[in-house]
Amino acid sequence: MSAPSASSPQPAQAVPPQAMPAQSTPSQVADPGQAAAGLARIGWAEHAMPVLGLIRDSFEQQQPFAGLAVAACLHVTAETAVLVNLITAGGGRLHLAASNPLSTQDDIAAALAAEPGVTVFARSGVDRRAYYEHIHRALDAAPRLVIDDGCDLVNTLHAERTELLAGVRGGCESTTTGVARLRRMAAEGTLAFPMVAADASRTRRMFDNFYGTGQSVIDGILRATNTLLAGQVVVVAGYGPCGRGIAERARGLGAQVIVTEVDPVRALGALMQGFRVLPMAQAAPLGQVFITATGSRDVIGPGHVAAMRDGAILANAGHFDVEIDVRALAELSAAVHPAVRPHADEYLLDDGRRLILLAEGRVVNLVAAEGNPASVMDLSFAVQALALAWLAGEGGEGRDGRGGPDGQMSSLEPGVHEVPAEIDTQIATLALASRGAGIDALTPVQQEYLDSWRQGS
Amino acid sequence: MSTEAVPFKVADLSLAEFGRKEIRLAEHEMPGLMAVRAEFARSQPLRGARITGSLHMTIQTAVLIETLVALGAQVRWASCNIFSTQDHAAAAVAVGPDGTPEDPKGIPVFAWKGETLPEYWWCTEQALTWPGQPGPNMLLDDGGDATLLVHKGAEFEAVGSVPDAADDDPEEWRVVLAVLRASLADSPGKWTAVAAEIKGITEETTTGVHRLYEMAKAGTLKFPAINVNDSVTKSKFDNKYGCRHSLVDGINRATDVLIGGKVAMICGYGDVGKGCAESLRGQGARVIVTEIDPICALQAAMDGFQVARLEDVVATADIFVTATGNYNIITAEHMSKMKHQAIVGNIGHFDNEIDMAGLARLPGIRRTNIKPQVDEWTFADGHSVIILSEGRLLNLGNATGHPSFVMSNSFTNQVIAQIELFTRGEEYPLGVHVLPKHLDEKVARLHLDALGVRLTTLTKEQANYIGVPVEGPYKPDHYRY
Repeated sequence: MSAPSASSPQPAQAVPPQAMPAQSTPSQVADPGQAAAGLARIGWAEHAMPVLGLIRDSFEQQQPFAGLAVAACLHVTAETAVLVNLITAGGGRLHLAASNPLSTQDDIAAALAAEPGVTVFARSGVDRRAYYEHIHRALDAAPRLVIDDGCDLVNTLHAERTELLAGVRGGCESTTTGVARLRRMAAEGTLAFPMVAADASRTRRMFDNFYGTGQSVIDGILRATNTLLAGQVVVVAGYGPCGRGIAERARGLGAQVIVTEVDPVRALGALMQGFRVLPMAQAAPLGQVFITATGSRDVIGPGHVAAMRDGAILANAGHFDVEIDVRALAELSAAVHPAVRPHADEYLLDDGRRLILLAEGRVVNLVAAEGNPASVMDLSFAVQALALAWLAGEGGEGRDGRGGPDGQMSSLEPGVHEVPAEIDTQIATLALASRGAGIDALTPVQQEYLDSWRQGS
Repeated sequence: MSTEAVPFKVADLSLAEFGRKEIRLAEHEMPGLMAVRAEFARSQPLRGARITGSLHMTIQTAVLIETLVALGAQVRWASCNIFSTQDHAAAAVAVGPDGTPEDPKGIPVFAWKGETLPEYWWCTEQALTWPGQPGPNMLLDDGGDATLLVHKGAEFEAVGSVPDAADDDPEEWRVVLAVLRASLADSPGKWTAVAAEIKGITEETTTGVHRLYEMAKAGTLKFPAINVNDSVTKSKFDNKYGCRHSLVDGINRATDVLIGGKVAMICGYGDVGKGCAESLRGQGARVIVTEIDPICALQAAMDGFQVARLEDVVATADIFVTATGNYNIITAEHMSKMKHQAIVGNIGHFDNEIDMAGLARLPGIRRTNIKPQVDEWTFADGHSVIILSEGRLLNLGNATGHPSFVMSNSFTNQVIAQIELFTRGEEYPLGVHVLPKHLDEKVARLHLDALGVRLTTLTKEQANYIGVPVEGPYKPDHYRY
């Protein structure tokens, strides 16, 4: 282990001041025998994640997480594994639970469980009880830092593991949905530690939501249905960064795209981009493929389902499975034929129409495809990694002598914090370098011109 | 209109210098024509050709005309649309590269922007009238008006009289009949003599080609024709890429409306319609297509466009563009149901795609000219539509038509077709022909360098493997590109 830099926290010498129930549980994965297969896929993902590679090099040098327990609730995929390995390379011990009952890749879970410094609690296809059970087992390690994806781990901490709260120095949350939950917690004054909103960085918005989700949601729908999108009417609910990406990619494949929105500014953006904008009630009888990307609930409800065409495909790209009212769909149906294809269930309505629900209404790009491409997750996870290192380091000058690797809490107030702009700049710079792209730098004269208000026309 | 012989007739010779500057710029953008000039400068394959051209008198056409002259031809020219002449181009052609406005040394051109219909047909007749000669021996036509005048003239001369127009005949047909009536009275036998001289005709556009095939089918075609339009390097480029460029240009210049967010109807999804749809979508419009052909309709749907019937969406669209080659596509009734200040334009060859006569006949209709080629027509109920170029092709009327590079492809085909018919006429019997594929490929080849294209060459083995010569042609005639 190389010597940490001056700005890095000291490796843990002292045990945490409070007596924590820090009894890590052994990994729980579906089949440890799949580790070799998982390892090969992690290697593949590493090649597509050059920014994380560069960060890993620096973490190995600087050991920002030396001795720290990190609990993470993330989709257990090959890309996540690269992030996990980078945190352990930086000296952390990582305890990983799945952030979705269906998205776990069992070979990856097995490979990670075999890594030193990592324990994994994840199996694909678990029920709700086992899902939360896994989160509790990850929390058993009494984490100093947390990484969350949808806020279930942070929520569980605050609701059921309050004894651990005092030891948490901070964490980051990667989804917009999770950040929204965190902000509500902060507004109520219940959020006990600082959380970085890693969803909201510029690189994240641009690459992950727009490019990554845009491509992988289409990928999921194609894999699940093998439908030809050209010529079809695709209804995209929500025109945020994800919805925009989905709409553009669907159009690129020859679909006729209709957008539904509740926000007039976003709706106007869709309109000016040449999309048809309709209320869902009017879009419902027109669409052949419906994709929800709103972050809200009941976007497709019983009234819409009742109006849909025979054979319509329903998919959700939002984080939670509440955007399509699956229960209402089931109640309207005379019969359900599960898994007519993998991740495609056929709902037979009373009048003989069939509607195809993908991935049980859960996030389709992760369930039916492989989530965001590795090169996109490279940037998202770079935000997480650097934000986490920032949390681990920045707090060294903290206030009350508790919680940090050196026994201190973060200097940041409890609440939701934006990603520091320097991290965004740093990631974009690394990403450009890894792609061989060069950019210009402002000359001193240009900088002076931009800073001045004196020069006019 | 007087039939008194004049050497040429253009709007304003003082525009010649401006026209010459633009011609010089265009020559650089027309590498195909310039390469043909270089290739044939010595052999002069068109020596002895007397070419009458009826084609939009633009800067690009000036480069075509001067290419024909450079290959040895004598040329007389008229525009094929009352609005499409660029007056500085016409002036420059009349003055010629070596003349001055005081001492013009160019070619006889009869064209100005904003001709009346009688003036238009007078110009066409002048271009077909060769002092001291029986007439042209080659036609270069765009839309078939020159071809029509010769054929109808000869036909009426054969029966000895010009028929009266029927009540429902369009105004333009009455003008044609009047021109021919005067001609039969003045110089009987003129058109029969002209027709006898002509070795062939090269036709530029879909509409004219359609007329030629009809005439060939009816047995009335009097000389062989080359359908230039259906050269791949013409129709797939000029129609699609040219219109993709100039449609939006025309709408912007005419109205300056923001296209993003608008709903645009494109009537017809042929090559022209495809280019139009793509360009409007590229500007952020939501494009709806109308079609009568199930194949084109399916293509539009697969390209992601809504395909609807005009009457179902006429009240919701903001911009209407006809690109069908058919007539009565947008009727007065359609227009009366459009949104206030909906924009209506045509990019098809003729002005009958939009029923302007029907619009003008509506009770209480009022026309307000906003600026040249932009009219607001206000209905009795107070709402209005904006008509571009009086329903004539708006990319030429409101903008400057296709850009030079695209026209270089089309016109290089024209020049090669003229050479083929004039020098190898025996290989083109009476009927309508397309250029052989190796010439089509040659036209494309002449344009690659200018775009920095590095073409890969087949190895002998590869050529053998797919059964084509190394130097082409590479595709069977039925290949659709």
